[in-house]
Amino acid sequence: MSDAGSPPLSNSNVDHPAYTSSSPSNPKPSQPFSAGTQDDQPVLSMNGITCRFNEVIANNDVYFDLFRGEIHGLLGENGAGKTTLMSVLYGLYKPEAGEIFVKGKRVDVKSPLDAISLGIAMVHQHFLLTPSHTVTENIIVGLKSPGRSIFLNTAEAEKRILELSRKYGLKIDPKAIVGDLSVGEQQRVEIIKALYRDIDILILDEPTSMLTPVEEKALFSTLSAMVKAGLSIIFITHKLKEVIEASTRVTVLRGGKVIGTVMTAQTTETELAKLMIGRSLTQSLAQSQEEIQAGIQKSPSERASAGLANVLELKNVFALNNSGVQALKDLSLTVSKGEIVGIAGVDGNGQSELAEIVSGLRKIQSGQVFIDGRNIVGMSPKQIRQWGLAYIPEDRLNTGLILEYSIAENLILDRWYTRPYSGKIFLNKHEMKRFAEEIVSNFDVRTPSLDIQVRYLSGGNLQKIVLGRELSREHKLLIAHNPTRGLDVGAAEYVRKQLFKQRDSGVGVLLLSLDLDEILLVSDRIAVIYAGRVMGVFDRTTADVEKIGPLMGGYVVDANA
Amino acid sequence: MTTTLILGKRLSFKHIVPFLSGGLAFLVGGIILYAAGVDPLEAYALLIKGSLGTTRAIADTLVKTISLLITGLAVAVAFKCKLWNIGAEGQLYMGALGGLLVGIAVVGMIPVVSVIFVLIAGIAFGAMFSLVPAVLKVKLGVSEIIVTVLLNFVALLFISYLLHGPIKAPGFLPYSPDIFPESELPILVEHTRLHAGLIIAALAAIFVHFLWKSKIGFELKSVGMNISAARYAGMNITKSILITMAISGGLAGLTGAVLLAGVQHRLIEGISPGYGFIAVIIALLGRENALGVCLVAFFFAVLLAGSESMYRTLGIPVAFAQTLQALVLVFVLIGEVFTRIHLPKRIKRVDEAKLENLGKQVGAPAERGKVE
Amino acid sequence: MIDFIIGIVASGIRMSTPSLFAALGENIAERSGVLNLGVEGMMLIGAFAGFIGTFVTGNVIIGIMFAISGPMVMAALMAFLSVSLRTNQLVAGLAIWLLGVGLAALLYRLTFGVVTVAPTVPTIPPLDIPFLSSIPILGPIIFHHDAMIYLAFLLIPLTHIFLFKTNIGLKIRTVGENPKQADTLGVNVNRIRYMSVIIGGAFAGLGGSYIALVTTGSFSEDIAAGQGWIALAAVIFGRWRPFWIVIGALVYGMVNATVLGLQSIGTTIPFQFLLMLPYLLPIAILAATFKKSVAPAALATPYKRGER
Repeated sequence: MSDAGSPPLSNSNVDHPAYTSSSPSNPKPSQPFSAGTQDDQPVLSMNGITCRFNEVIANNDVYFDLFRGEIHGLLGENGAGKTTLMSVLYGLYKPEAGEIFVKGKRVDVKSPLDAISLGIAMVHQHFLLTPSHTVTENIIVGLKSPGRSIFLNTAEAEKRILELSRKYGLKIDPKAIVGDLSVGEQQRVEIIKALYRDIDILILDEPTSMLTPVEEKALFSTLSAMVKAGLSIIFITHKLKEVIEASTRVTVLRGGKVIGTVMTAQTTETELAKLMIGRSLTQSLAQSQEEIQAGIQKSPSERASAGLANVLELKNVFALNNSGVQALKDLSLTVSKGEIVGIAGVDGNGQSELAEIVSGLRKIQSGQVFIDGRNIVGMSPKQIRQWGLAYIPEDRLNTGLILEYSIAENLILDRWYTRPYSGKIFLNKHEMKRFAEEIVSNFDVRTPSLDIQVRYLSGGNLQKIVLGRELSREHKLLIAHNPTRGLDVGAAEYVRKQLFKQRDSGVGVLLLSLDLDEILLVSDRIAVIYAGRVMGVFDRTTADVEKIGPLMGGYVVDANA
Repeated sequence: MTTTLILGKRLSFKHIVPFLSGGLAFLVGGIILYAAGVDPLEAYALLIKGSLGTTRAIADTLVKTISLLITGLAVAVAFKCKLWNIGAEGQLYMGALGGLLVGIAVVGMIPVVSVIFVLIAGIAFGAMFSLVPAVLKVKLGVSEIIVTVLLNFVALLFISYLLHGPIKAPGFLPYSPDIFPESELPILVEHTRLHAGLIIAALAAIFVHFLWKSKIGFELKSVGMNISAARYAGMNITKSILITMAISGGLAGLTGAVLLAGVQHRLIEGISPGYGFIAVIIALLGRENALGVCLVAFFFAVLLAGSESMYRTLGIPVAFAQTLQALVLVFVLIGEVFTRIHLPKRIKRVDEAKLENLGKQVGAPAERGKVE
Repeated sequence: MIDFIIGIVASGIRMSTPSLFAALGENIAERSGVLNLGVEGMMLIGAFAGFIGTFVTGNVIIGIMFAISGPMVMAALMAFLSVSLRTNQLVAGLAIWLLGVGLAALLYRLTFGVVTVAPTVPTIPPLDIPFLSSIPILGPIIFHHDAMIYLAFLLIPLTHIFLFKTNIGLKIRTVGENPKQADTLGVNVNRIRYMSVIIGGAFAGLGGSYIALVTTGSFSEDIAAGQGWIALAAVIFGRWRPFWIVIGALVYGMVNATVLGLQSIGTTIPFQFLLMLPYLLPIAILAATFKKSVAPAALATPYKRGER
């Protein structure tokens, strides 16, 4: 492999010695690869990959390589191009330009079938499993039976699965129905699904996004075991701690470009953060810090003068989820006027049900819910909304908006029956248009026209429409559920600024987010939810991951920790 | 994708698709005719002549349009709300039954008013019959597709029973007694069969047109488009489904009453030659708005009327028209794909140009097209 | 008396066969994630093709070949619309249905014109299975049928084995539950769906040909009488499992047979109400079982690689 050119550096003005010198063809000789392999040829090379979707360049001349036995972290924010790059490798997307070399040979990966035959497998962030099938069926689908038989040979398969399970310490029952398994167990199925196919390269996409801290540790030790056995691993993440802890080398992507590749041992979280985020967000992070400082100065006195009025109060709430399982167990929580309460927790611990209870979309089993002093149990979503709730739902595509409608039509989803948007019988198109123009302007929604269906707009703009609608109504309580998920850096910033504005104007904000960093950044108080219960509440000054982490995993800590 | 300005409205490929599909359908139809030994051009000429060639022909075509239009609207209303009402035929018959009961009762003798009652009865019977699948859907979650289809058979059998027994007029044939002349819809144009049902049809179209502009229409539509968003918005799902089906069944029932009062003046077993099923195609082609349904209904009426003439002269079966109608639908479905592909591209290009008009730059440019 | 009942049960089995064929096939299509509402249209085409094939060549086997091929073409069109073009499957299915109805009627009339006496073909006679058909009661019920019913009997366990015990069956089921999973494991989702839908078409053709070649020996426009829709209902309340689907089809056939039986001995109940039962009963069963239906998760949802 000749010097095909070093990975391009971004114009981020960050110059750290570690970043200027590494290139795919010129690894530092003293790097401590695990498993003691001495290959000087990468087991995988991706050269000059460019991948475009409509007008967005998801990967811009990316160079990436992987050596045998290493755990190579692919780090970047949402939308940096990490998943795209790996999807190209896995044959899901065809790149506009670039070449892929596996074990020194140039290859054309046209489909996942090709990738698998090359010894590459991928474990996706959102598991690709069939809940109604068994573990074995989920794993062997698509494979040929031994002896070219047309019949399934589950007995043989189960044996092999148990073997792999023992070898890598991934405890699993091949006969179990996948739908009955926990998230951690399902991930093990996913991993065995990949290992089953005789692979050399394993790609993991955000593997810890749904795991508790304990399950995370288990995963990392599995990774070490796999690497000892000769596998090479790439894992995609946006979490700095993870990369430092688990990887041997890191490549940072931002805006589709490779910012740099560095040995993990020779860098720190802060440096990686700078690379990953670049100057603009670092700057605005500082701004946010200022705002937070200002906010802190404001809210205690405001709260004091308002007499600690609670805008939301949940007392001993019990509720079931859609499968009839207990989702909320004796949950109690308060949110005051003019504060942001962030709910920290791993996905699936009752956050959705909590939001649905407060907004009236779900029936409560027992307990009380007060919004601004009024018991809202039994009220319809419409009534609760009229009483003063603004709600940014988790699923803005399916719940918050109707994609086939125009901006104007979406904006009146909560108020179509009120004046001035409609009269006695008919909708008032003029008023709708005026309102739409107002929101588009105030919230900076980018759209070529007011009449097209909103499904053609980007995620950030869709979220702005939801925000615009919800915030333009008088409200006392705002529930924001995963408000920045899937948004690019700029849009996420914008949303967070809006949350601060709300807080500063006296609204009580309940923030549910899977992004712990976001919760820590934004909240005045943090409540940790686990299995439908609040495990602990922290003030922003005393909160940190060390204390919150275990609680998220259900471990109760000492009161004076 | 080029667009041109015609009549002040921007047209694009999307608007050409229906015409192209019609043309292709005629082409395929012509091939079939040719294979059967018939001269396609002669046949098509007969089709046009037979449907639009004389005053009588036009009148007959309009008579057919009436039924196709109202039933088409019935099904279109349901489809727009994603309620797959395939039971319009059965609802039509029930409506005819309702109209008959009024038309042969004492009430049916009152001039002018009785016609109104006949029509109202038609709407009521049709609506009630359509509430069966509606209730099953809201209470038990049963899909309305199969239920409405099966109920067609039930309705037809029920009517058959009645016509062979309880409401049979004296004589050999399973016909009901005639309705009172006062209950008949008056003829609009002398010496033709064109009756006042045309006005009813026009009113129905206007009703549907304004329905979509109304508050209640917005709610009905939204529930159909996205039920979780509708629920989140506080809309009443159950009420919406019931109302939509009632309107749909009511319009289908109205068709039955109109057929009864305008054409046959009594209830017979074949009072509808499958209008409820043709309406499915009409609705699928024209479902977006009332005007679309009007145009398609007229076009299909032309096909049907013309095919009768083709049959008389050339022996081409009426099923030819049915096949053509289905072919138009198939080609439109295929054609729709192209609008899906091209439209987004057009938007992206226009977007760059319009970006300046709409505002300030804040932060990084949003990611296009990537949602979630 | 007992003979009468035996007669009805045997007749009931015969009358369930067309929808049974169609339902077994539609089950395979739906297991792969495609909902084909056009079954009724495909059955009609199958009936017509089977009839004309037999009429022209005098050979029933060729007739059945025709009966299978015609609907397979229509099924391919359905697959094209639903899988390749990813149009709304409900709409596509309705289009196929109406196209089938129109085309079958048209081709029939074009071929035969208007005749006072409908052309017929000799129906396939029942086959006595030696030995077994002499068993009292069970004999005439199960072992005294035409060859096609025996084929149907065979297809029940065969489709079960096909779906649940073979590699390709697992592929089909996974495609119907989680097509993205199948795709990332190298399964060609589109190819599996095309195949499944076309198999469904072949089965629908068998069902249609049964009506034409066994039940009636002729063809008419409404010869299917809704059995395609009954098949769709049977798949639902059979929970997409072949053995339970049989029960669904049998219900229809048994009710029909009972109705005809009652008619023949003369009852006071007007025959139309009896004839309604085969359509009302499925509705009642749907009402009772719909909430618990465990449809393939990806049913009627188009799939495209890379889309969310």
